[in-house]
Amino acid sequence: MDVFFQILASGLTLGAVYAISTVGLALVFGAMNMLNMSHGALMALGGYMAWFTMTGLGLPPVAGMLVAVLVCAGVGVLIYLLIAGPMLRSEGFETRVFIATIGFGAMLESVILMAFGPQPKPQPLAVQGGLSVAQVHLPVQNLLILALAMVLMAALALLLQKSRIGRAIRATAQNRDAARLMGVRVGMVYALVLAISGGLAAVSGITVSSLSSLLPNMGGDPMLKAFIICVVAGLGRVPGSVVAALFIGLFEAVVQYTVGVRFSFASLLLLVIVVLIWKPQGVFGRHQGVRL
Amino acid sequence: MSDDLVISDLAAGYGHQSVLHDLTLRAQAGRLTAIIGPNGHGKTTLLRAISGLIAVRTGEIRLGADRISGLPAEAVVARGIVHVPQGDLLFPDMTVLENLRMGAFLPAAARQEKTVLEEVYTLLPKLRDRENQIARTLSGGERRMVGIGRGLMASGRVLMLDEPSLGLAPIVIEQIYEVIAGLRRAGRSILLVEENAMRAAAIADQVHLLDHGTLNWSGTGAELSGRPELLETYLGV
Ligand SMILES: Nc1ncnc2c1ncn2[C@@H]1O[C@H](COP(=O)(O)OP(=O)(O)O)[C@@H](O)[C@H]1O
Ligand SMILES: [Mg+2]
Repeated sequence: MDVFFQILASGLTLGAVYAISTVGLALVFGAMNMLNMSHGALMALGGYMAWFTMTGLGLPPVAGMLVAVLVCAGVGVLIYLLIAGPMLRSEGFETRVFIATIGFGAMLESVILMAFGPQPKPQPLAVQGGLSVAQVHLPVQNLLILALAMVLMAALALLLQKSRIGRAIRATAQNRDAARLMGVRVGMVYALVLAISGGLAAVSGITVSSLSSLLPNMGGDPMLKAFIICVVAGLGRVPGSVVAALFIGLFEAVVQYTVGVRFSFASLLLLVIVVLIWKPQGVFGRHQGVRL
Repeated sequence: MSDDLVISDLAAGYGHQSVLHDLTLRAQAGRLTAIIGPNGHGKTTLLRAISGLIAVRTGEIRLGADRISGLPAEAVVARGIVHVPQGDLLFPDMTVLENLRMGAFLPAAARQEKTVLEEVYTLLPKLRDRENQIARTLSGGERRMVGIGRGLMASGRVLMLDEPSLGLAPIVIEQIYEVIAGLRRAGRSILLVEENAMRAAAIADQVHLLDHGTLNWSGTGAELSGRPELLETYLGV
């Protein structure tokens, strides 16, 4: 029984970390058919910005989080202005923006490497200590990550479903021309979506580095997993990707406990293959196009 | 007068392809103006140029005192030109009500949303029953009604309808045209694009024939009915 709860707890934490990194990616793909390959670099940037604000400038954790989110949201807008926006009307947008963001991500990573060096750094935005509930040991950090993920997902769902700007985002995702005919300024929507995604990448980078450490290329693996989760859920399905993230976190925790850590990535890929044979559009995907 | 839609020497197209040229047209306020013409001759392109979905290359479009040409689509609808596109272009994963509410997205329309929604439901009662249905699951006729209803929600000055009868069963076409006739009686300014020339002639105050990207003939619906050679040459009737 204790083992069961231990696996459940670590699986959910893993899932929560994945969920934060995945929804940003799914949101951008759902709204504008864009695979943002610089998402991993944005995660690293967020992690380092929190480190810089707290360790470098000596400011409190709240400031660290805020600076990281704002800087990465700003870089998200920059990606719109410099890359996605100018390409939007061109033919083959999906391929071009895919390649361009690989380049942008590599540049961003190099800048981080030059600014902060190649040695791993500890993430200061982390909480020590643990809670023991009925023989189950839970690090406070993990509980915080879980709570943070839940709050962020709820806020995003509220934004998308209830607010005027959320309606504009969904409308743009479902039919760009129709949204324009309703008076939606789709350029603003795209910039905003990339800003939100950037902010989420920052939070994600902080959580990931708080569980391991800061490295300029720390975003690579989480981004790869986020893509896997997006594909499993069906590209662009935002709520579906949260469910898939939690499921895959649990799956990984079970595999790690039963067959061993070194098999976890291989079994994840096996799962993806099975899912894609069973449902090529992803579990929550649909045949035509992309929907939020 | 002050709310006439006036198009002068318009040229527009896609990429290297020029579709419309030397197109001059006045759609009078409070009237139903129909554009007819064979498939692929630029009717949809004309509406897309007016609503700002594609760029105007030369020439000018005005609505009353406002210059419309050169504005992006989101600014054109704010000036009161509402485009109900060919093929409806609904938001497929939104409900009927959410689609209708998107029509009143701009602040000016949003302020009157409740009143106008009641008017739309009175005109298209079926939409009230289907309020919570996801648009993707509607029938073709129901989709068309949502498309028109969504356009009405914008409370615009000019309503542009692109092929409202396209792909529908005869009974449903009848229903849709009753709705359009009702809007005409209510004194709305309507620009109707229709491939079916006889349908358009029966309802329009003015008919214009679009042929190879420019207007070739203009007259009243009755005049068109008296010109069988036109119908035969251009529309294969
Ligand atoms: N998105 C587009 N890109 C390039 N060419 C287009 C596009 N849409 C329409 N066309 C071309 O423009 C011409 C006019 O099309 P259209 O305005 O749709 O005609 P209609 O509505 O009268 O059937 C056609 O030759 C068509 O192939
Ligand atoms: Mg057409």
